[in-house]
Amino acid sequence: MSRPPSPRPFPVLLPVRPPAAIAARWGDCRTATILALASAPLLLMGEALAAPGEAGIVATLWKWTPVMASGFVLNLWISVLAMAIGTASGAVLGLMQVSLLAPVRGGSWLVTQFFRNAPWLVLLFYCILLMPFEIRLGGVVIPLPAWIKAVVGLALPVMANVAEVVRGAIQSIPTGQWDGAKALGLTRLQTMGLVILPQCLKRMLPPWMNVYAILTMATPLVSIVGVQEAMNLTRAALNAESRPDLLIPMYLYLLVWFFLYCFPIARATLWLERRYGVAG
Amino acid sequence: MNRRLFLGAALAVLAAFAIGAPAEAQQNTLEKIKQRGKLIVGVKNDYKPWGFLDPSGALKGMEIDMAEDVAKRLGVGIELVPVVASNRQEFLQQGKIDLIIATMGDNPKRREVIGMIEPNYYAGGTNVLAPKKAGLKKWADLKGKKVCAIQGAYYNKRVQELYGPDLQAFAGIPEALTALGAGNCVGFVYDNTFIESTLAAGDAKWKDYEMPLVTEDEQPWAVAVPLPELNGPWGEFMKKVSVEWHKNGTLLALEKKWGIKQSPFLAEMNKKYKG
Repeated sequence: MSRPPSPRPFPVLLPVRPPAAIAARWGDCRTATILALASAPLLLMGEALAAPGEAGIVATLWKWTPVMASGFVLNLWISVLAMAIGTASGAVLGLMQVSLLAPVRGGSWLVTQFFRNAPWLVLLFYCILLMPFEIRLGGVVIPLPAWIKAVVGLALPVMANVAEVVRGAIQSIPTGQWDGAKALGLTRLQTMGLVILPQCLKRMLPPWMNVYAILTMATPLVSIVGVQEAMNLTRAALNAESRPDLLIPMYLYLLVWFFLYCFPIARATLWLERRYGVAG
Repeated sequence: MNRRLFLGAALAVLAAFAIGAPAEAQQNTLEKIKQRGKLIVGVKNDYKPWGFLDPSGALKGMEIDMAEDVAKRLGVGIELVPVVASNRQEFLQQGKIDLIIATMGDNPKRREVIGMIEPNYYAGGTNVLAPKKAGLKKWADLKGKKVCAIQGAYYNKRVQELYGPDLQAFAGIPEALTALGAGNCVGFVYDNTFIESTLAAGDAKWKDYEMPLVTEDEQPWAVAVPLPELNGPWGEFMKKVSVEWHKNGTLLALEKKWGIKQSPFLAEMNKKYKG
C-alpha cells in the first residue's frame, strides 16, 4: 500500500478504486500456464513409461473421469452445505460474542475457541462415530448417510472461523459509528442492523471466501471416514488398475480439478480485498 | 479466566458432543431385510479381485458376486456399502449393514464383537512379493531389511516380531508397489493369494518378480452377521448358504472366474461337503 496515510475518517466509505487488476489478470494467465507446462511433461513421461500393450495414461485418466467427477461433485456439494450451515451458525455465534450479556459473551467465546482450535479430522471422527446412522422421529426413520455427518463435522470448524470473521468485522467498525447512531436515537438492535452490519458485509466477504476455499480443499479429509468422494474413488480406481505408474498422474489429475475450482476463488478474494481495501 | 470454570465448561461442550448414542440395533435382521426388500452388504472397493471399482462406478469382484447370490436367494434387491477394515465392525454393530463380506480374517478377538459364519469361505496366508534379484530364500532373510507393507494389516505385527524386518507401511497397494518398483524396499509383505494372482496374470511388469517364501499363518476369511444373530434365523440362514457354496462348487467357480489361483482350502472344503 503506497498510498499516503489518509486523513479521511470513514475509510470504508472510500470510492471504489479503479480496477488495478490488469496486472493480477496477467498473473492469473501466468500461473495457469505454468501449471499446464508443469503437468504436460509429467503426463508425457507417463505415456513413455506405460508398458506396451497397456492403455496410455491419458486414455486411462479419461476412462475414470466420470467416476472421479461424480466424487468431485460430492466434494463440492459437501463444501457448499458445510459452508451454508457454518455461515448461518457462525453469524449467530459471532453476534453473541459482542453481546452485552457477559454469560452469552463468555459462552460463545468458549464454543468458538473450542471449535476453532480443534483439528478438523478429529471433529470429523467425532461426528461420524458418535452420530447415529439413522434417526427415529415417531414412526419416521430418517437415514443419516456418512456424507451428511461429514457435512456437520466440517460445518463446526467453519462455524467457529466465520464467528471470528463476524466478530472481527464488527469490532473493526470505528466507535464513531456507534456514537453517531446513539445520537440519532437508534436502539442497539437498530444500530447493529442498520449501521454496523451493512458496513461489515464488505469487510467480511474476502475472509469468508478464504474460509470457503480452505474448506473445499479440506473436503478430501472425509475420504478417511469412508465417504465415497473424489479422493476415495481415485484410490479405488488406482487399486482396480493395479498400475503403480498411474499413481502420480491420477492424483495430479485430481489436484488440477481442485486447483481449477479454488484458484479463481482465491483471485477473486484478492481482487475484493483490493477493491474494499482500507487505507492504512 | 477461572481455570476450574474453564475446564468445567470444556467438559460440558465435550459431553454435549458425545450425546447421540447409536440407535439400538434391531434384532431380527432377516425380517428387516425382507421388510425393506433390500440386503445391505459391506464390501471392499479397493481389493482386486475380491471387491473393486469398475470405470462405470459399479463394484465388481468375487465377494460382490457372493453378496449378489445371497440377495438372489432371499429374493430381495441389494445395496453395496464400501467399507474399510477400521469401520466395518462398527457398521455391522450399528445395523447400518446386514452382512460383511470384505476380505475379513476370522480370529478370536473379532469373534467377541461380531458373528463369524462357519464354514469359512476362503483362507489366505502371508508371503512376500520380491524382485528375483533380491535373492530372498527364507523368512529370516528379511531381518533388518526394509520391507513394504500395508498400514493396519493383521500380519504386520506377527512378521515384525518373528523376523525383525524394517517395515515401511503404506496407505494403499499402489503406493506400496510404487515403492517396491523404485527399490525402496526388498519386498512387499502381503496376502499370498493376491501375490499369486498378480504374478499369474502374466503381466510383463512382474516377470522379474517372485514369491520366494513359504506361505505362513493361513487365516480363514469369514462372512459376518451381527453377534446376537449368529444363532438366530439370520445367522443360521447364512451358515446354510456358506455350506452350499462349498458343496456345489460355487466358490471354486468364482475363484476361477476372477483369476485367483486355486486355493487348497477351497478344494478341500468342496471334497469334505460333497463326500
